Amino acid sequence: MTRSTRERVAPLAPPEPFVAADALVGRHALVTGGTRGIGRAVALGLARAGAGVTATFAHAETDAEEMRALLARHGHGHAVRRCDVGNGGAIADLFADLRGAGGIDILVNNAAITGDGLLMMLSDTSWDTVISTDLTGAFLCTRAALRGMVARGFGRVINVISPAGITGKAGASNYAAAKGGLLSMTRSLAAEVARLGITVNAVCPGIIDTAMLADVAPPARQAMIARIPAGRVGRPEEVAHAVVFLALPAAAYITGSVVNVDGGLLVG
Amino acid sequence: MDRNALKEKLKELLISGLRLQDLAPAGIADDQPIFVEGLGLDSIDALELLVLIEEHFGIAIPDEEIGKQAFASINALADFIVAEQARGS
Repeated sequence: MTRSTRERVAPLAPPEPFVAADALVGRHALVTGGTRGIGRAVALGLARAGAGVTATFAHAETDAEEMRALLARHGHGHAVRRCDVGNGGAIADLFADLRGAGGIDILVNNAAITGDGLLMMLSDTSWDTVISTDLTGAFLCTRAALRGMVARGFGRVINVISPAGITGKAGASNYAAAKGGLLSMTRSLAAEVARLGITVNAVCPGIIDTAMLADVAPPARQAMIARIPAGRVGRPEEVAHAVVFLALPAAAYITGSVVNVDGGLLVG
Repeated sequence: MDRNALKEKLKELLISGLRLQDLAPAGIADDQPIFVEGLGLDSIDALELLVLIEEHFGIAIPDEEIGKQAFASINALADFIVAEQARGS
C-alpha cells in the first residue's frame, strides 16, 4: 500500500509522571549520552521516578549545564559528567567514582555516534570510532556495572539500539554493525544473568523528534513520515517511558527482549 | 582468622550466598570440587560466589584462569584468599 505523506498530529502527552514518583527511590541510574535528545528524556524520566541519575556527555558543555539545571528540579543524587564512552580509560575512571558512591543499579547504554558512508569508502577511523563508542563502550560500561548488580541481586541493563541494527542500513554499515552487535550482546547477557535478578533488554527507537531530525528538510521529512504506520515521528519522552518501565521491579520477568518505540516502522 | 575457621566461613558463605537450602557446612568436603558434580552448581553460581568472595575478603579476582584455580575446592579457595590478603597488606 502507498502511505500518505501527511504528518499526523501526535496524541496529547500522558499526564506526567506515568509512574509513581517513588517507584525507583534508592536506585542509582547511569545514562550515557544523557544530556541531549533521547538520553536527556530517559535521564529525566528516571529522575522523575525517584532514581538518582548520573548522565554523561562527551562534548557538548552547554547541554550538560542545561541538564544539571533540569535534573536539579527532580530530587537529589544526580550528576552530569563528561565521559567519552569511546575511551576505556574514561569509563574506568567514571566507574571508580560510581563504585565509591554505591554503584549502579540501572545502566542505560544510550551514547552513540554515527559516521556514515558507503562501506567501500569508509575509513578505518570511521569504522573504529563508531564501533568503539557504540558497541565497545556499551560492553565496557556493562562489564564495569555488573559486579555491583550481582552483589546486590538487582540490576537493569537497557541498551538503546536502532532499526538499522535490525534491518541493516545502506550508508551506515558501521552504525548498523554496532547496533546489531549490541542487540546480540543484549540477548547473550540476558541469558547469563537472568537468575541473578538482573534483566537486560534493548529499546529500539524509530524516527524521533530530536535536534538531529530538525536538520532534515521538509521533503525528506515527508518521505520519512510515509514510512511510519503511525503517520508521525515519536517524542523522546515516548522512548523514555519504555526505558523507565523496563527499569521497574514490575518488569522483573522481561529480559532478552527488544521494545520497539517506532510507531510501527519496523513492522510496516 | 585461622585456616579452619576460614574454611568454615567459606562453606557458610557458599551455602547462604548461593541459597543452597538443603546443605550444611559438614556436607562440603575440603577437597571436593565446588563446581563439578556433587553440589550441582554452574558457572553463573561461580559468578555470584566470586563477587561474594571479592566483597567479603576485599580481594579482586579479575581473571578467569585465576578464578578457576581458586574455586577448584574449599582448600584451594582458602589458600587463594590467604595469599591474596598477604599480597594486599
